[in-house]
Amino acid sequence: MAAVPTKQEAEDDDYSLLPLVHDIIKCMDKDSQDVHQELNKLKNRIQEAREQITAMPGIDKSPEEQQQQLRTLREQVRTKNQLLQKYKSLCMFDIPKA
Amino acid sequence: MAVQERSTKERLLSVLDDLEVLSRELIEILALSRTQKLPQPGEDTQILELLVQRDAEFQELMKVAHKQGKAHQEMQLLEKEVEKRDSDIQQLQKQLKEAEHILATAVYQAKEKLKSIEKARKGSISSEEIIKYAHRISASNAVCAPLNWVPGDPRRPYPTDLEMRSGMLGHMNNLSTNGVNGHLPGDALAAGRLPDVLTPQYPWQSNDVSVGMLPPHHSNDFALEPPGHNKENEDDMEAMSTDSSSSSSDSD
Repeated sequence: MAAVPTKQEAEDDDYSLLPLVHDIIKCMDKDSQDVHQELNKLKNRIQEAREQITAMPGIDKSPEEQQQQLRTLREQVRTKNQLLQKYKSLCMFDIPKA
Repeated sequence: MAVQERSTKERLLSVLDDLEVLSRELIEILALSRTQKLPQPGEDTQILELLVQRDAEFQELMKVAHKQGKAHQEMQLLEKEVEKRDSDIQQLQKQLKEAEHILATAVYQAKEKLKSIEKARKGSISSEEIIKYAHRISASNAVCAPLNWVPGDPRRPYPTDLEMRSGMLGHMNNLSTNGVNGHLPGDALAAGRLPDVLTPQYPWQSNDVSVGMLPPHHSNDFALEPPGHNKENEDDMEAMSTDSSSSSSDSD
């Protein structure tokens, strides 16, 4: 059970930009030459996040709209299943070949 | 008026832009604070707090985006299901249409047949009557020569001139023209002078039939009867139908 929260926390950390900002501030404090490198990392990370968000499917709507659409689709499938079941259970007869 | 909610994508991009701006400002302020005093003290703390807040918001939105991604997959599966059901319904619809067409044709033909049956029933004639008349026509030797007919016999399968004049119509005509004009004196004399051997013997003239002319079984059936039947006629009909000289029985 403890493994799951840590995995969740790791996923959260993947999206967090604070560690990168922290690294930049540390480098600035040390007057290290890696400041530019860290700045580039942050810039690249932001750019990657932007591309990732653009490519993610299903986020063109708000969660509420998506849930509404999902409910509608489920209802459609249920109704059509019922309709087909009703038609297939009718008295069927063989259509003679002409 | 309901405000359309912003999509998750828009919110994520907006928060990301805020993060970028805030992190840049923070770094600039920290870099500036090394060389000179900040014009607004505590500004860096505010920016840091905003940055942390925005970062938390960004993480939450990313979780929501992942959930929406899974919901999107489920929606795609459901859409495929809906497509499949739609094609099944269309297939059933085609079959129902075809069945309806076949049934409509069958019902129409059945109705036409019923109409024909009703029409035939209204104009139905008793088969016994038809057979009786057939026998009468055959009995007058109209379809077949008598067995004892030889060339020279004046009898014909049709009423001859003399026979017509000696019949009822001929008598009626003579009665009406006797006192009026004498156009046909010869016919009247001829009608009265027919030798006995040539006197036609028709079923409707008398009940005393000459022996050699007609089959004896027909003697009781010479009166013109109204349509319909009774038991006596049925017996005669059975007797007539067994007569081999009748052509109608040959046709069976």
